[in-house]
Amino acid sequence: MWVKLILLLLFCLMILGAVHFAQPAESEKSGSPAKVLHSLRLLTWNIGYAELEDDTRAHDKDLPAVAEVILRQDPDAVALQELTGKAQLNILLGLLHGKYRGAIAQQGREDRFEGVLVKDAGATFIPVAVGARYALGASFRPRQDSPEVLLLSAHADAFNAARRRTYTEALIDWARARAQSSEVFIAGDFNFELKAANETNLYTDNLKHDGESYSLILRHFHDLGRAAGDTAINDRRIDYIFGPPELEQIGRVEVLRGAAVGRMDHWPLLVEVGF
Amino acid sequence: MLTLLKMELEKLFRARSFYLSFIVLIAFVALMLWGFYTYAARKTGGQAVEQFKYTYESKQYFNGLTFALYSLLFSFTLLLPIFVSMSAGSQIASEARAGTLRMICARPISRASLIISKFLVTALHAGLLLTFFIGLNLVVGLIFVGWGNLELYPGPLNLVDAPGKIMRDEALMRFGYAVLSGTWALLVIAALALLCSVVFDSPVQATVMTIAAYLTLYIVGRVEFFEHLRPYFFTTDMDFWRDVFKPDIPWRSLWHYAYVCGAYTTGLLLTTVIIFERKDILT
Repeated sequence: MWVKLILLLLFCLMILGAVHFAQPAESEKSGSPAKVLHSLRLLTWNIGYAELEDDTRAHDKDLPAVAEVILRQDPDAVALQELTGKAQLNILLGLLHGKYRGAIAQQGREDRFEGVLVKDAGATFIPVAVGARYALGASFRPRQDSPEVLLLSAHADAFNAARRRTYTEALIDWARARAQSSEVFIAGDFNFELKAANETNLYTDNLKHDGESYSLILRHFHDLGRAAGDTAINDRRIDYIFGPPELEQIGRVEVLRGAAVGRMDHWPLLVEVGF
Repeated sequence: MLTLLKMELEKLFRARSFYLSFIVLIAFVALMLWGFYTYAARKTGGQAVEQFKYTYESKQYFNGLTFALYSLLFSFTLLLPIFVSMSAGSQIASEARAGTLRMICARPISRASLIISKFLVTALHAGLLLTFFIGLNLVVGLIFVGWGNLELYPGPLNLVDAPGKIMRDEALMRFGYAVLSGTWALLVIAALALLCSVVFDSPVQATVMTIAAYLTLYIVGRVEFFEHLRPYFFTTDMDFWRDVFKPDIPWRSLWHYAYVCGAYTTGLLLTTVIIFERKDILT
């Protein structure tokens, strides 16, 4: 009898211990709300569609909704991915009532383009050759007295981790070379599959490549959106904004989960930093 | 109780399966070493380990500690639960199969004490297996791969979401923690196998049922269709043991899951005792 009593006691103790050490709810965990800064506000958004659609690039009919989000959030610069081309960019710029200037990357092997929108009228756009793909940079000053900022809009391969790694290495080399003269930010869809909880713990080359790519970026840049959580359907965090490592003030960091329209599979990631 | 425990220990150390489990673990470490070297050779076009070390940012990423960690994480998922299931699954059922259970129960000992002593012996076996395996991996890693700090990267092993590093001496301490946390996690399997050993009269059936339950929950837990069910599987809770290898151990979460595993273990043991006390022993 005593054995059963001891076991029952231990069982109750274990339950109590488990309850006592249970993680606090998400709302309890987050302390005071992040301080809102206005020095630099960046937004990245892959406005393409999910893989199952006939055309997975951005759709013109969604552009008013995209413009509305941009106007409402009022970022200093926007990195866009999966635009169909210059014509689509012009439609979007029109919907933004001339508030932004923009450009798209050169065409590589892909049928889709990265784009950057910037409020600063003096911004210059820089094509960035990254292997067989092209990214796009925009150099601008968010305020007249602020240092020069370079924002890169990037989109790594969706299907091959080795190609993502090659792309990332080339992009980081390019960005590091400019980090001396500008505050460099890299924003875009990197397609890294790194979410620990959803994967088996068995070793794969893909995980190794993505792990190495992400680690390489973190060696030189700060992952500003880490706290914001998933950025795409199926619980994936594949859209990132990386900034200079010495940034001390990170304000609002948010994935705008209600923003996607149509069959979009990504949500915009918004980051505010002070520098 | 102590006499009973001593007798059970004698049985454990006399069993061939006890030594077989250690031999298989040695073979697994050899397999890991072979896989490690052939992978390195394949990936570097024959330039082998020297270049393979450089595939990560750190020049000393692949060292003895990394080797031990990889080996431990791979084996913990599939190999060690099998041996623990075999050890616990045979405890009562093999006595029943051999016809000695009735005789044991005729002695002036309580059935509950018998269950507890058999469970403690299984727990000791699990602890010894893990201690031996970790020790062997560290020794083999030191001799064949070399020493260094334990560097962790996101992706492989799924331990961290940002690069991290554990200094060598601290890392060795973490392997010590892993003996404790890993054994504690394996006790859930041991308790389940002991329950099966009481319910089924065949040790093979008890072992197979335990492994089947474990693998089913483990695999289903990895399929996204059943993501919402994942928190309710004991296999999910058992994963807490790996947290000791994170650069900053999430103590709160670790204790939470350790207690959850403890609840599974004690709950299953209590059920086993209740069933065994009511069981009509015919063999």
